[in-house]
Amino acid sequence: MTVSDVAPIITSRFANPDAHTLSGYRATGGYQALAKALSMSPEAVANEVKEASLLGRGGAGFPAGVKWGFCPPGVWPRYLVVNGDESEPGTYKDRMLMERDPHQLIEGVLLACYAVGCGQAFLYVRGEMALAQERIAAALNEAYAAGLVGRNIMGSDFSVDVILHWGAGAYIVGEETALIESLEGERGMPRLKPPFFPAAKGLYMQPTIVNNVETLSNVPWIVNNGAAAYNELGAEASRGTRMFAVSGHVKNPGVFEVEFGTTTFRDIIFDPRYAGGILGDRAVKAFIPGGASAPWFFEEHLDLPLEKGTVDRAGSMLGSGAIVVMDETTDVVRACLSLVRFFAHESCGKCTPCREGTTWLERILTRIISGQGRPTDLDLLLDVSDNISPGIAWPPKQTTICPLGPSAVSPISSALTRFRGEFEALIDDAVAARTAVTPVEITVGSHG
Amino acid sequence: MADETSTQVTGELTITLNGTQVDARKGELLIAAAERHGVYIPHFCYHPRMRPVGMCRMCIVEVDTGRGPTLQPSCMLECAEGMVVDTESDVTSKAQDGILEFLLINHPLDCPVCDKGGECPLQDQTMAYGPGESRFVESKRHHEKPIPISDLVLLDRERCILCDRCTRFAKEVAGDPLIHFINRGNHTEVNTFPDEPFASYFSGNTVQICPVGALTATPYRFKARPWDLEQVESTCQTCSVGCRVAVQSSRNEVLRYVGVDSDPVNWGWLCDKGRFAFESVNGDERLGEPLVRTGGELRPARWSEAIASAAEVLQSTLTAHGPEAIGVIGGARLTNEAAYAWAKLAKGVLGTDNVDAQLGDGLPAEVVLGLPSATIDEVCAPGGTVIVLGPDTKEELPVLFLRLRHAVLNDGVRLIEIAPTATGLSAIATASLIHHPGETAEVARALVGQPGLGTDAGGVNSAALEVARAAIAAGGPVRVVLGRASVAESVSWTVEAASILSSIPDTSFLMALRRGNVRGAIDLGLSPGLLPGRVTLDGGRANLSGLWPTVPATPGMDTTAMLTAAAEGHLRTLVLVGADPLADFPDRDLARRALAGVETIIATDTYLTGSSSLAGVVLPAAGFAEVSGTTTNLEGRVSVLSQRVTPPGTARSDWAIASDLARALGVDLGFASVEDILTEISSAAPSHAGLADALASSSDTDGVVVPLSGPTPADALLSFTVPTSDALLPRHSYSLRLVVGRKLYDEGTAVHHSPAMTNLPVGGALRLNRYDFDRLGVAEGDLVRVIAPALTIEAPVVVDPAVPRGSAGAWFNQDGLCAADLIDITAPLTVLQVESLNGQGAGS
Amino acid sequence: MGYLRGFAVTFRQIFQRPVTTPYLIGKGPKAPKPERLHGRHVLNRYEDGMEKCIGCELCAGVCPARCIYVRGADNPPTDPVSPGERYGYVYEINYLRCIHCDLCVEACPTEAITETKLFEFSFTSRADAIYTKDELLVDEAGMPKHLPWEDWRPGEEEFTSGWVRATAPAGDASYEGRVGWSGELGFGVRAPEGDQESRDASGSAGRAS
Repeated sequence: MTVSDVAPIITSRFANPDAHTLSGYRATGGYQALAKALSMSPEAVANEVKEASLLGRGGAGFPAGVKWGFCPPGVWPRYLVVNGDESEPGTYKDRMLMERDPHQLIEGVLLACYAVGCGQAFLYVRGEMALAQERIAAALNEAYAAGLVGRNIMGSDFSVDVILHWGAGAYIVGEETALIESLEGERGMPRLKPPFFPAAKGLYMQPTIVNNVETLSNVPWIVNNGAAAYNELGAEASRGTRMFAVSGHVKNPGVFEVEFGTTTFRDIIFDPRYAGGILGDRAVKAFIPGGASAPWFFEEHLDLPLEKGTVDRAGSMLGSGAIVVMDETTDVVRACLSLVRFFAHESCGKCTPCREGTTWLERILTRIISGQGRPTDLDLLLDVSDNISPGIAWPPKQTTICPLGPSAVSPISSALTRFRGEFEALIDDAVAARTAVTPVEITVGSHG
Repeated sequence: MADETSTQVTGELTITLNGTQVDARKGELLIAAAERHGVYIPHFCYHPRMRPVGMCRMCIVEVDTGRGPTLQPSCMLECAEGMVVDTESDVTSKAQDGILEFLLINHPLDCPVCDKGGECPLQDQTMAYGPGESRFVESKRHHEKPIPISDLVLLDRERCILCDRCTRFAKEVAGDPLIHFINRGNHTEVNTFPDEPFASYFSGNTVQICPVGALTATPYRFKARPWDLEQVESTCQTCSVGCRVAVQSSRNEVLRYVGVDSDPVNWGWLCDKGRFAFESVNGDERLGEPLVRTGGELRPARWSEAIASAAEVLQSTLTAHGPEAIGVIGGARLTNEAAYAWAKLAKGVLGTDNVDAQLGDGLPAEVVLGLPSATIDEVCAPGGTVIVLGPDTKEELPVLFLRLRHAVLNDGVRLIEIAPTATGLSAIATASLIHHPGETAEVARALVGQPGLGTDAGGVNSAALEVARAAIAAGGPVRVVLGRASVAESVSWTVEAASILSSIPDTSFLMALRRGNVRGAIDLGLSPGLLPGRVTLDGGRANLSGLWPTVPATPGMDTTAMLTAAAEGHLRTLVLVGADPLADFPDRDLARRALAGVETIIATDTYLTGSSSLAGVVLPAAGFAEVSGTTTNLEGRVSVLSQRVTPPGTARSDWAIASDLARALGVDLGFASVEDILTEISSAAPSHAGLADALASSSDTDGVVVPLSGPTPADALLSFTVPTSDALLPRHSYSLRLVVGRKLYDEGTAVHHSPAMTNLPVGGALRLNRYDFDRLGVAEGDLVRVIAPALTIEAPVVVDPAVPRGSAGAWFNQDGLCAADLIDITAPLTVLQVESLNGQGAGS
Repeated sequence: MGYLRGFAVTFRQIFQRPVTTPYLIGKGPKAPKPERLHGRHVLNRYEDGMEKCIGCELCAGVCPARCIYVRGADNPPTDPVSPGERYGYVYEINYLRCIHCDLCVEACPTEAITETKLFEFSFTSRADAIYTKDELLVDEAGMPKHLPWEDWRPGEEEFTSGWVRATAPAGDASYEGRVGWSGELGFGVRAPEGDQESRDASGSAGRAS
């Protein structure tokens, strides 16, 4: 077990009780990156971030610097939208960043705006995160008062308005096009891509960059220390450090910033500095490597590094960096149901397969658990899944507009592939119980 | 035009569709391109007249754009060069079957009782491709069964498949976003906002475009099943837009109108009044037998008796007082053929030129025919400027409103509105020039005048005028939608304004006349001084010499002049051809005196109206859906009207009535059928030369626009001369200028005799600006004393922010306060004084 | 000469036994009828007295003789005639046209219209031949109306109903594969007709009579 001892990049101030204040942030080198950037050209800042292999930390893992370059040239205004609607079950890294170090995010936002050329940034914070909203709002007020946000920042001719927007409690708004719809005052429903890729036609049909909170929080460090220093950390395409939230049957659940690409799942789950091993020292049955949408991993995957390419090739994803551990006592059918129920509940209702399919999956699972299972149900589960995500492959194909529908398929395909016997046992018991009693004759057509 | 369908559409790019190379246009959606090439891709949410949303997912097909085949919604995907599409692959079929099953799991098995059953896309898809048995054993989603979302539309949320068609229509097309999705996920439903019904003039369209039976219309509910219905395509005559409709009937009863997509006219949309007016065709009070006044009362009579009686009246008037003592009012309800027959009877047999199809609320014929004309498509063409100088199109010509709205919001058309009150278009107008009543011409003059003068005109401030001038200066053609914004003022100012606007280069006009076939009636001679084919008496006389026994020597009187003459006793016999001056003439007092002043009234109508019940002879006429022929819309577009049912009782077509009357007067009009008349029109009316052949070779849906050939020799046409405008009294602070417009739902026959719509008219009240309320010291709903030129009455007042300060609004033909009682047609502008009943005088 | 051979055929037939059977000669009992005889129709009610007909017009739509006329109407919410939104407001069968093909019974989604075994009815006027809803609908006891020109015998009312499968109740796996039946006023739930295979095997007539 080799865990690298890399100094944290984005959680470096978490220990300081006053890190969320402007004075506390400035005392630890805050806003120096902004000052430095203002002396550089926007292109230079953009290049620095592009050279640093900063993968998006929201889920898809697309390089942020490359994304910034997608805005069609000469089209103004452009907007930056910060996705702080962190709702993936098991994920709570952005919340910590917004609560503990809001100025770092604001500085990242300003740097991104400078590099891309945005005059307005929208900070979309999840509705349930009360403290994060409070801290961000206070930090923004301080920053405005100090001339760090608003007109002529730090005396330069660079001006940015940051608009704080609170979500109303919908998971799907974490999807970037749904977030844009929500910002525009519409229902939070995803737009179809194509034709509306946000970088070309996003908020108010203008070029829009949507970045995750953690992604932007990395930018000040990169500007301060350079892309080369950032790229020294990590492995392959996964550079720098990354925050992972570990939860489930572990001794010490929490958010940990580790070196990206080199640390393994075993390190983060078992190392005493991190999650500290399984409760009661039981065996691992399965774990979700990257949020509820990701296909499950099992014991044989524990030694895989937390590296995007490796995990993708192994058939899952690092997604939002949420690792949920299930020990050997877990009832996988119920675990499966609770994940599917989440997606059925959070489906926005826009497209048919997700609206109807996820709820159908949930109801079949509920039926199996409540002793009403039928032998045909497992094939039915798989076929309904196939109609949402044709082929049930990874990365998923989809008949839906956004990936929420296929997300509900992941736990079912994982659990059914590995633990089909547990499902069958439940159904066999139910069938046996039913044949023991003869149903009474029933009639329909009584109209009270 | 005629060969559009046969023209080879040359695509700019090539795609592979199910293994065949086909052409496609740049920007064309894949689903549309496939359909054009005969490959039907099933869909529910896609509608060619609305923005695609890709929600139902039914149209997903396998598409390979070079990166391997993926499933893509064909309604969202624009064709691209080299695209390989497979709509029949196993992957496509599996995905579509899956979507269909998802749509069905919560869809109730209501098909036997559902109005849509039999014409339901979901049912058709399921029958064609769906599974025989459901794999869904859980209980379905339940909602309260149909809930009324408006007076005319019911919503059954269980049946809804959430395709967003109705909600998209309401928001994007109609501009009444009153229905929306609520809740989310599997609990998503369409509903109205609390206590806000889906009160839209276009709500019936949502019923038509609903791909399931979630939305049903109360007037059609459970009346028939689709397989009972027989249909013909026809043209709606409720207003002059001329929307194409499919008239559907069962057992000789008209049960439904469905909008037909006519590209140059209505795009498939209908207004609710047009759509649900079918109920008035079947009305219980329809006239089914002739009535003759004997012993002071109207009694049923035989046709021979009634015709003889009418002919005798006409003959004796002719003998005693000459043709000038006979007047003929009306004709806008008729077909073109009936209008021609009546013109021939009145002008060619009786010899009178006192003939007018308009009732003092339209535009002079020389304006209608003398100004360069524009079609709806030309008005709405991208890049131009539209000046709406006339009535509120949303109220009077609703589908024209939809076309204008689309043009402004989607095609970058700049819209300038010149009106005495705010209208349905105000919110989207580039410039909304709300002026003092009677000062239309001032505004027009300021609009074409030099920019930067910085002066106000007619109550419109200079800034708004500047915006409007800039819109015109931005280039492109200028199209004017011209009509009467208010019937409480002289038409001369509107005419003057039109002539001023016509000085703008590249300007043409669309006449916003209101009644069904008023354009056809004018074209075919039912207007003083005109003969069929848009020619003057002198210009057309030679042409008709062999066909007509006589032609009047000098131009006769229009409706206002006829009624004035009648009131003074100069007009002896009045023939009302589907006209009801008591309800429709702006000055009811004059109409009342006129009808009392003539010796005999002869009326032909579908219902007994206030005016026809005063007649000596009432002849029952066959109405819409009961006659065939042609009709002309406000553009001059002639399209075919078709008969679907038989008229009630012994009611007859208007052309046959004219023919019989002529025969009783000893003249054979020479018509045995509608076709005979069309043939005669095609040769006798210069503007309609060759009409019969043109119609035969054109698409029924789109019709043909007259004049068909080059312009008629100028000397035969009415020349457009600007009349001397009436002088305007100066405004003074304690009087209010009256503005009288119309609501879509009024007390006219179509609404009054359609049970579903009888509750919809708003009722009459005096509408004032909040400022004048405070000035007069009255409150909303108070009764006030209204002092009009002819009478003083008490009426309720309501606040209407659309009415500017210093003006008073009243709706025409409503119960309660009726505007026709207030108007004095002899005054250029009706001015009211309004007093609070609790002692405070106006202007205090 | 050929025509004589025709006469010869006729002449020979005079001495053959007729293939037709005498039926109801005099006032004697009716002959037993085949199980699947199609007689005049009835409109049935549920056990709670509600009409089964929902006015869907599927019978009229499928009728090859075009002898059925149906019109639906909204059920009065306070006093519904049938379950659901719609009921049969007008229901007429013209027996001058009806060919008793039973397609209406097949098409009916609610077992509302079925055919009895009664075919001993003849009428003398066109008006009598057109049965109205009032005449077709079973009475409060679930028995068909006996019209003056119809020859009903005791016990014949029993054979009035069809055996169409109704919707299975949803959700509960205990009832998987089992069929639910709607009860009928006066008769309750009728025993289901066995399928073709089982009847062929047992040699029985299938449905208990």
